[in-house]
Amino acid sequence: MTTTAQNRAERTATAVPLHRPISTALHKRPRVRLGALLALPLTWLVGLYIFSLALLLITAFWLVDPFTSLVRPGFTLDNFALLFSNPAYISTSLRTLGIALAVTALSAAFAIPLGIFMAKIASPWMRAVLAVAITLPLWAGYLVKIVAMRITFTEEGFFNTVAGAFGLSGPGFGIPTVIITLTYLWFPYMALPVYTAIRQIPVNLFDASADLGASGWTTIRTVVMPLLTPALIAGSVFTFSLSLGDYLAARFVGGANSQMIGSIIASNINLNPPVAAAFSVVPIAFVVIYLLVTRRTGALERM
Amino acid sequence: MPGTDTTAETTAPDAPSHETAGVELRGVTKRFGDTVAVRELDLTVAPGEFFSMLGPSGSGKTTVLRMIAGFEDVTSGSILLDGQDVTAAAPFDRTVNTVFQDYALFPHMTIAENVAYGLKVRKTAKDEIARRVGESLEQVRLSHVADRLPHQLSGGQRQRIALARALILRPRVLLLDEPLGALDKQLREQMQIELKQIQREVGITFVFVTHDQEEALTLSDRIAVFNEGRVEQVGTPREVYEYPQTAFVASFLGVSNLIPAELARELAGADGAISVRPERVRLAAVDSTRAPDETSVVGTITETVYTGPATRYIVTTEFGLTIIAERHNDHAPNDTAPYRRGDTVRVYWHREHAALVP
Amino acid sequence: MKKQLLVPAFASAALLVLAGCSSDGQSGDGLFIDVPDIPMAEELGAAEDASLDIVAWSGFVEPEWSDQFTEDTGCVVNRRVAGTSDEMVTLMRTGEYDLVSASGDASLRLIAGGDVAPINLDLIPNFGDDIVEGMKGQIYDTINGQSYGVPIGRGANILQYNSEVVTETPESWDVVWEADSPYAGQIIAYDAPIYIADAAVYLMTHEPDLGITNPYALDETQLAAAVELLQQQNEIVAEYWADPVAQITSFVGGTTVVGTSWEVLRKFTEDTEKFGGTLPVEGSTGWSDAWMLSSEADAPNCAYLWMDYTSSPEVNGAIAMNFGMAPANAAFCETSDEAAQHCEDFNATDEEYFSNVWFWTTPIEQCVDGRTDVTCTNFQQWTEAWLTVKG
Repeated sequence: MTTTAQNRAERTATAVPLHRPISTALHKRPRVRLGALLALPLTWLVGLYIFSLALLLITAFWLVDPFTSLVRPGFTLDNFALLFSNPAYISTSLRTLGIALAVTALSAAFAIPLGIFMAKIASPWMRAVLAVAITLPLWAGYLVKIVAMRITFTEEGFFNTVAGAFGLSGPGFGIPTVIITLTYLWFPYMALPVYTAIRQIPVNLFDASADLGASGWTTIRTVVMPLLTPALIAGSVFTFSLSLGDYLAARFVGGANSQMIGSIIASNINLNPPVAAAFSVVPIAFVVIYLLVTRRTGALERM
Repeated sequence: MPGTDTTAETTAPDAPSHETAGVELRGVTKRFGDTVAVRELDLTVAPGEFFSMLGPSGSGKTTVLRMIAGFEDVTSGSILLDGQDVTAAAPFDRTVNTVFQDYALFPHMTIAENVAYGLKVRKTAKDEIARRVGESLEQVRLSHVADRLPHQLSGGQRQRIALARALILRPRVLLLDEPLGALDKQLREQMQIELKQIQREVGITFVFVTHDQEEALTLSDRIAVFNEGRVEQVGTPREVYEYPQTAFVASFLGVSNLIPAELARELAGADGAISVRPERVRLAAVDSTRAPDETSVVGTITETVYTGPATRYIVTTEFGLTIIAERHNDHAPNDTAPYRRGDTVRVYWHREHAALVP
Repeated sequence: MKKQLLVPAFASAALLVLAGCSSDGQSGDGLFIDVPDIPMAEELGAAEDASLDIVAWSGFVEPEWSDQFTEDTGCVVNRRVAGTSDEMVTLMRTGEYDLVSASGDASLRLIAGGDVAPINLDLIPNFGDDIVEGMKGQIYDTINGQSYGVPIGRGANILQYNSEVVTETPESWDVVWEADSPYAGQIIAYDAPIYIADAAVYLMTHEPDLGITNPYALDETQLAAAVELLQQQNEIVAEYWADPVAQITSFVGGTTVVGTSWEVLRKFTEDTEKFGGTLPVEGSTGWSDAWMLSSEADAPNCAYLWMDYTSSPEVNGAIAMNFGMAPANAAFCETSDEAAQHCEDFNATDEEYFSNVWFWTTPIEQCVDGRTDVTCTNFQQWTEAWLTVKG
């Protein structure tokens, strides 16, 4: 009899999965379903990203023991005052901003014609080759790429050897090489969204523009560029903010006078975390201002 | 509808408002790699004409249009506009404009900006742009949507804006690439009428690409029927419909009964294959006698198809030949059809109603 | 060995920047630094079952010698490679590590912060007469007469030059400091706040009026003078290096012809004929590392065993050769011809050579030169000043 009861119980048990109680319950509760979907990304976003950012900002107001580097909670504006009191820090901030803008502009200037070629002119085979070529640098380590650029631009390096044949000499190590290196590093982040956006432009818009009298250049300016605005903004947020935060390029190919904000943060990160935190606010502020400006121009709204 | 004749002979616009020009293609060939899209094409479009290029997809008609516009290079041969060779000219150096298949309106510009685009890139004075855009929008009766974006417009409205945008530049020739293809049937018929009116108003040459034979017949002064990169026949709608010169033309334009040469000789004493339109084929009792200038053959109705205005009878005759006959439903609506499936009937047509297909 | 070394050295590059210790001489007689009172082990117990967690420079803890240690003692070694002195300090403050291979600028902070415990040298038999004189009782590991560290090795910051361009061995550092240097635009300088001490060393000879007696004890006037010299140098510098690979490629690639280097980096150029090295008349700065024991170590006995093990001539020598520095244990130099050559190359037993070297020390407000009438500038002020030089 016990056996029969067990058998029955087992049979019932095997039947249960057909009911799929969890799926059924979720099916009737869209909010719960949504919650389940977003739980993980939200935990990540709020817990790690926003929380750590907030912590960083709070740290910027804290004090530090000058000898032991021990951080003490408290409140001081000295760390921020440092940003403005020292002309060297101001010029470093402006230099960093200039480099980031130049990298962004250069990346865009390369990405647009390349994207047009890839999306509208190149054969499928050529397109695949170029897509791989653009993304290839992403596969290599960041430091490896910087060192590669260093070797390329060193005095007796590849660049000077090639340019020397034409009686030219390279820029050496300095701000121009930092800009070139950062452009090399971040170019894929600009090129890919731009290329995707160009692919999505119907080919007959190009024909229509030519048909209505526009030269190729006018078409790029009046049709392609406006349609690329969202992609350019997306790409430039990457190139701009990644450049703002970088300091290793400046260290390896920057020569004597290309200290960036990141260099200041790196010098202080363990030694004086509050000062590092205060300086971290500078690139954040630049990016926020940048996004506000793009928003104000209405570039994002007409799409 | 096939065979109706609303437009073919109504030419000569009352007061042409724009200058117009003819188009001439001389021995034009276009290759894409190993594929020959257009071969040795000669074509002349008269100034002010509504000229259609009709054919199935892949027949080369759109390629020809794009070569006239300048979007595609010509592999060999030459293209003349108003007697001048423009084979090598860039699109923006040709006095033609194009209305694209899916309109190709610039999605980021307002309707007014779209229409103004051509004038703007030509550095036209601002007040003149404003004036002409106003006129242009009025012409297509869409002044009220000037500030909207293209995606806020219906398909028909977008179509009219595309037309206004092309016409504002006063081209001598307007090229239209299946402009009505994306519209539903009703809107399409309405737009056909509008298109014809506009062409009459501006008086310029329209070169119109379509795969819809009915549309071509309705709108055109002349039609060129394309097949596999060649023109099979050029003529007025009546000519191409009634007197198809090739089997392809006969079958592509409407439904046609094509009777092979041997059989045609035996049945009708013709010198070659003949084509008879279903609406010209009559049905009669088997034992009825026919006049000497009529061709007749006995067969069994294997299918009847009711299409609303007409009923179509598919008749399998002796010699294994299938003949389609169409009869207008001009009897009282509740009358049953006089013939049914399975009936044995005599099909016949007037000898002159059959076209010899060379 | 060289190739092997390069990679770890590359990774550890930046960290060495701040490494270092006080130099020359014992901690001054009158110098008393207020440090937390941490008890010292009195006797060695049995090896713990816990793992021995070590924060170290790359190349200091390698299976080549740590496997043997585990076999001998049963202590399992768990290595964490740190990149900078600052990172070492931060890691040690987590309390999760037992030992650290601290450099001079980290050691003072660790001692003052109460993060490391005094060391009972009696429990380290290998710390004996063979330890070179110049590494005993230095301020970096001995505070108020109490030892906090067991020396590992040391090295000087030398002046390296490309002999094809700089045909005569420079006698003075003036070729990298003076605005009229014939090599302006081809000079490389070290990229770290501690490099201010190099300017101070130069000023000690050339601007005696400033009264600098220890390059790590600069009052505000003296710091300003050093910064001014550094700014003057900034005009003629081609680049700064913090990473050994950058320094090597800068010389080999021809970007620079003269500047600060380490003996080991000169060897890495693989052309010691072309690239000469010298210790100019002014003397120089240098660095020195020592094992330090966490005040919260959960395997202190294993740690003592490790410090003893690595102070033996063989193991100490292996670390020194692997990293490219002078070993602390001079007995190593007699173990083989190769060892002797290494000691010779790195001046291991040449106390006269090292007497001219000021080992990196964290600058603190209390002047380590013994002055009590002024406040000296601390490392944070140096950091800020350094960023000003490059900004």
